[in-house]
Amino acid sequence: MKLIACTEGHSSKIEAFSLEMIAAARSLSQAGDKVVAFFAGRDAQAASASFGVADQLIAACAATSDLIPAETYARLLRDVIAVESPSLVLVPYSANGLDVAADIAARTGWPLISYVNEIKRDGESLTVVAQMYGGKILAECAVGLPAILMINPGAFPEATPGPIDTARVRMIDAEPALTSGKVKMVAIEVPDYADVDLTTAERIVCVGRGIGDEASIDLARNLATMLGAEIAGSRPVVDNGWLPKLRQVGKSGQKVKPKLYLALGVSGAPEHLEGMSHADLIIAVNTDPKAPIFNVAHYGATCDLFDLVANLSDRLRAGSGR
Amino acid sequence: MNILVVLRMIPDSAGELQLAEDGRSIDREWLDFQLNDFDDHALEEAILLKEAGGAKVTAVAVGEGANRVLQMAAARGADEVVALQCEEDAMISSREIAASIAAMARAKSADLVLCGVQSSEDVFGQLAPYVGALLDWPHVSGANRIVANGAVLRVTQERGAGVAVTYELAAPAVLGVQTASKAPRYVSGSKLREASKTPIGRATPEPSGLERAADIITLRLPVQGGSGENLGGNAETVADRLVSILAAKGMARN
Ligand SMILES: Cc1cc2nc3c(=O)[nH]c(=O)nc-3n(C[C@H](O)[C@H](O)[C@H](O)COP(=O)(O)OP(=O)(O)OC[C@H]3O[C@@H](n4cnc5c(N)ncnc54)[C@H](O)[C@@H]3O)c2cc1C
Ligand SMILES: Nc1ncnc2c1ncn2[C@@H]1O[C@H](COP(=O)(O)O)[C@@H](O)[C@H]1O
Repeated sequence: MKLIACTEGHSSKIEAFSLEMIAAARSLSQAGDKVVAFFAGRDAQAASASFGVADQLIAACAATSDLIPAETYARLLRDVIAVESPSLVLVPYSANGLDVAADIAARTGWPLISYVNEIKRDGESLTVVAQMYGGKILAECAVGLPAILMINPGAFPEATPGPIDTARVRMIDAEPALTSGKVKMVAIEVPDYADVDLTTAERIVCVGRGIGDEASIDLARNLATMLGAEIAGSRPVVDNGWLPKLRQVGKSGQKVKPKLYLALGVSGAPEHLEGMSHADLIIAVNTDPKAPIFNVAHYGATCDLFDLVANLSDRLRAGSGR
Repeated sequence: MNILVVLRMIPDSAGELQLAEDGRSIDREWLDFQLNDFDDHALEEAILLKEAGGAKVTAVAVGEGANRVLQMAAARGADEVVALQCEEDAMISSREIAASIAAMARAKSADLVLCGVQSSEDVFGQLAPYVGALLDWPHVSGANRIVANGAVLRVTQERGAGVAVTYELAAPAVLGVQTASKAPRYVSGSKLREASKTPIGRATPEPSGLERAADIITLRLPVQGGSGENLGGNAETVADRLVSILAAKGMARN
């Protein structure tokens, strides 16, 4: 059978999770199967320099655009599916994948399972494990083929990057699909990381919705100062305007790897974990003992975060002789 | 402009989730149901668009507690509110309800369908792309700013690392909202009481038209804790332990 691993890029780069999609497809393939990497982007250079683990690369490129909108990506992918008749299409859970996966599912009628962490193949059918309810529940699903799976970034190890020889690359001109597309990309804004760059911070204190209100952020900020740490927030905290966007950690925030990550009132949804689960030392404080943050924490406490902040601040103040 | 905004009621996952006896669903009996967070932002964006350029906003709610949320939507500025009937005690699958939403979008001559980018029960796929594909309208997910200039929409989408990409597209369209341009507003009790008189329309579901061909076999709780150490629930002892843990790593002084 054929497996299509969907990959992405922007400008002349590939997204790192692309190599995870190829590795996931490879891990499911058996003798006689074929892993096809589908790429849509500005040019195929980075893709053909990295996707050697795939049996074939189908690259849809348009030199005029740094980014192929999901609508166009989905249309190009549909054409590829029509020609290749794959049994399985793996789509990353990304901004692009969110629009592509269900679009294809609706137009083909194929089943789709999202937020997939594990896949087991049994001949022509699959058993997959997907996350629900912010990671609090795992759903084991039976999937008949052909099917589409939307895969969580970080669920599969990256394939080793290496070149794919030109004989195994099929190029598609994405320009016509791009020009006739109904969704046009008009601007890309990249923030100024000069203010704060959490990706290089050695210590981070992150507050989640459990902090309750804007005024309480100061308590956590004072603690952060005593620890020599940067203050950060989960998505709802930033959405509420309590912390600036550049201080958001997670899927649509920063991916961080500090020596210390103290999470206060953060539940640990998959989209948050994606940004911080590789920190060296994770300490989580959450009154809910079932909070998924405890699955990645090295130390967990189930006390009230306000009590902890008060007590910890007292001790640190005493320790510093003040 | 006619805007249809979809409001899905989901279990409050900050509470304890228990598995039902069949092992394939969660026990919904004692759960609190609340409006899907992202749908709350979609509602806010719909109202903001109405305030900015004029629009008729129809809110359609699905699930347990739909009436309560529709009254809230009316109090916030929705012009018409409709409850979409659904199977009681079943999780809301966007794949299942997409055809009903698409039919309603047609019936209401919607120019714009707004919904949250995802819901935590959406294991079979997300609503915006399903509805967009069924209607063959353009769709963009992860929207955090929508500006309408007549039928031309400018939609800003969040990518990783704080990067934002802006697209232009023409209505009719379907957008999966991540964050409204402003945080969802609060409504006063008096407004809520006033809105409680708003008549709530009923809609019956359409068959999904999409075969499922995938099924949940079992639900389970993730293996808890991993290799982490539980420091317990006493803030004083936890603070003591943390100081020594941090001190041992040179990150605090005992
Ligand atoms: C496409 C997409 C991208 C996303 N990107 C991101 C992202 O970049 N970053 C991100 O964080 N999220 C992101 N999310 C959102 C994510 O799914 C969750 O909604 C979010 O992470 C939840 O934030 P939270 O843990 O602060 O809030 P909640 O899930 O509400 O958790 C609050 C926690 O605080 C605890 N608590 C409450 N009071 C106290 C107290 N007094 N003491 C101790 N604990 C307390 C509660 O038990 C609860 O576990 C994204 C979602 C989508 C769909
Ligand atoms: N020019 C861009 N266009 C679209 N997305 C981008 C762009 N630059 C960065 N990103 C997003 O931001 C993330 C971090 O990018 P980078 O800083 O290049 O590693 C990537 O995963 C992309 O999703």
